[in-house]
Amino acid sequence: MIQKILIANRGEIAVRIIRACKDLGIQTVAIYSTADHSALHVQLADESVCVGEANSKDSYLNVNNIISAALLTQADAIHPGFGFLAENASFARLAHACGLIFIGPKPEIIDLMGNKINARIAMYEAGVPLIPGSFEAIASLEEGINTANEIGYPIILKAAAGGGGRGIRIIHDEAAFRQAYDVLKQEAKNYFNDDALYMEKLFTSAKHIEVQILGDQFGNMIHLYERDCSFQRRHQKMIEEAPCHLLNETQRKALCEDALKAAKAVGYDSVGTIEFLMDENFNYYFMEMNTRIQVEHPVTEMITGVDIVKEQIRSADKQKLSYQQSDIKILGHALECRIIAEDYRNDFKPSVGKISFYHAPGGKDIRVDSALYTNYELSPFYDSMMAKIISFGPSRLHAIKRMRSALEETIIEGVENNLEFCYFTLFNPQFVAGRYTTDFANAWIKELNERESTLS
Amino acid sequence: MNQPFHKRKERLNLFQTLFGKKKNIKVTTSEMNIEMCPKCSTAIESQTLKQQNYVCLQCNHHFPMGAYDRIDAHFDADSFIEIYAKANSNHLNSFPDYLNKLTKYQKSSDLNEAVVVGTARVANQKVAVAIMDSRFMMGSMGQIVGEKITRIIELADRRKYPLIIFTASGGARMQEGIMSLVQMAKTSAALERFHQNNGLYISILTHPTTGGVSASFALLGDIIVAEPKALIGFAGRRVIEKTLQEQLPDDFQSAEFLKSKGFVDKIVNRNALRTFLIQVLKLHNLEVKL
Repeated sequence: MIQKILIANRGEIAVRIIRACKDLGIQTVAIYSTADHSALHVQLADESVCVGEANSKDSYLNVNNIISAALLTQADAIHPGFGFLAENASFARLAHACGLIFIGPKPEIIDLMGNKINARIAMYEAGVPLIPGSFEAIASLEEGINTANEIGYPIILKAAAGGGGRGIRIIHDEAAFRQAYDVLKQEAKNYFNDDALYMEKLFTSAKHIEVQILGDQFGNMIHLYERDCSFQRRHQKMIEEAPCHLLNETQRKALCEDALKAAKAVGYDSVGTIEFLMDENFNYYFMEMNTRIQVEHPVTEMITGVDIVKEQIRSADKQKLSYQQSDIKILGHALECRIIAEDYRNDFKPSVGKISFYHAPGGKDIRVDSALYTNYELSPFYDSMMAKIISFGPSRLHAIKRMRSALEETIIEGVENNLEFCYFTLFNPQFVAGRYTTDFANAWIKELNERESTLS
Repeated sequence: MNQPFHKRKERLNLFQTLFGKKKNIKVTTSEMNIEMCPKCSTAIESQTLKQQNYVCLQCNHHFPMGAYDRIDAHFDADSFIEIYAKANSNHLNSFPDYLNKLTKYQKSSDLNEAVVVGTARVANQKVAVAIMDSRFMMGSMGQIVGEKITRIIELADRRKYPLIIFTASGGARMQEGIMSLVQMAKTSAALERFHQNNGLYISILTHPTTGGVSASFALLGDIIVAEPKALIGFAGRRVIEKTLQEQLPDDFQSAEFLKSKGFVDKIVNRNALRTFLIQVLKLHNLEVKL
């Protein structure tokens, strides 16, 4: 039985995990950096330990200090949240070695899914459709050019061990391929200590659909339907929704079954997400698997009523899932806006400072996950996401309308934020129709900037 | 403290004007007439306004009121008997376009002249009444108005009825020239006779009571009552300012100003006027039965 969890994270996700722990009657330990001593998660946790300097390398990524803190406070388990150490297999292994439960999948699965080439092979074997591209690491420049010609430009060239937007090149023709190949190989070697590259066809206009998976250590596995995360800027999701309302029942069933197939193939035993790209003909292709809780998990919680973090802790604690697939129904539609401290008028430049006034929205079917409070000092060292506002409604339009009024209520003074940007987006006809794809956000931002002059 | 909320609201209003859908103003097909109070901008349904005796309950603004509406408001139901309703004259001056203008006003209103006279009852006490109507050529006093008023005074004198006159006038009717000014002397003389015979005359000054009317019978009442904020005076404000080369007080020529100077005995709200009349009649030992 897990009695105490150390939360190796900060911000709203740490607060979210603390809430789940309280629900389960589990003690919580927060860790914090010297810059975060007044952060909300530190105030809410039962205990807190400072693990290092402000720079996340020295604190939230400081594996030794975090493990020591867990041992010192006699925690049974570590919850990594997302980002930081969430998909670090060696951290998971170290935790296991120290007799701590790592709340997440087995380290081998993290490793497998972390290497994109291996993940592609595993998915191919499981019979999940893959994005057209090179199957194994590209052996040579000539072979790469041949494959690229086969699948057709534009292609995306990636480092197998890459992630976080690094080690990626978009290539439109052969000349560019020749130019990029060696540079990227070197870059991959430097950053990830692995120079294996692979390529995929680039879909400039596609839907980003992901399926939430829940598994336990007894081989039970269910899906919690899909999320539509196509509204993104530079691969950063900004507004997410669930379910994807363009899918019909057959398409949804096929998609979720394939996601389950993928997760079962690797023997998945925790909370995870299978990401797909979907083209305009509703053909979907496996993109990658996230072996952690995700930022946008609340939308799925809203439409299914399942507390995903709780299930994640239960499964790490060797308990069976509290749900069967037949229990899971889509109850409505949910939307999430990420409220980020950045100036959308100024190329989304991050903003820091003191929150001089904070007012959260409320009401039926509105959920706010945030780590904000009035007079809280927003730190420049970490991610600039301040809050997530989630709305739920019986239909998509209801959810959008609720979100609009929630954003009208929300006030964050002291730092630049994207509240207005989200608000405008909720009135964009293309967004309201739901027919937006991954390239929509950029076009919309451009349009907004042109209109900006009329607003100030 | 609530500054951020205000800021947000202003911002949202700005969005609304910039991006909001143009609202289609709904044209109602139903027969609902709305009047706007000129003072406090409250919208009042015409029907309701009439029930309220044309008084805005928000700010106590007294709207102009037609003669027949006043009769309904202040006197016993169905007690009014109009006399001289078709009074006319063959000696009206042929001031250019004057006769056409008269006909136009007669057609567009239910009046034949700027005053309605007759007898009525207040709590069963018979009274003689004259009610001026500012809708008819600004209630100006010409030969017919003067004659009707004189005759109702004489009727009150003969029958020993109390006399009640509601004044609303821009003054003497310019189109009739000197003949309109004669009416001032004529009505005043009739009133003097009425006074000598111990008749009771209650004068009710409504907005506006100016010029020749204020300089004759309006201010000769035994009891002079005014409606709130009514304009009462002889010459216009700007005329006086130009003549005297002096700045006049803001409430100059208002009923309240006149009351403070002793020209008006009491300011009575329109809705309290009936009660006031009953009290006055009772005070003068007249039979009132509610």
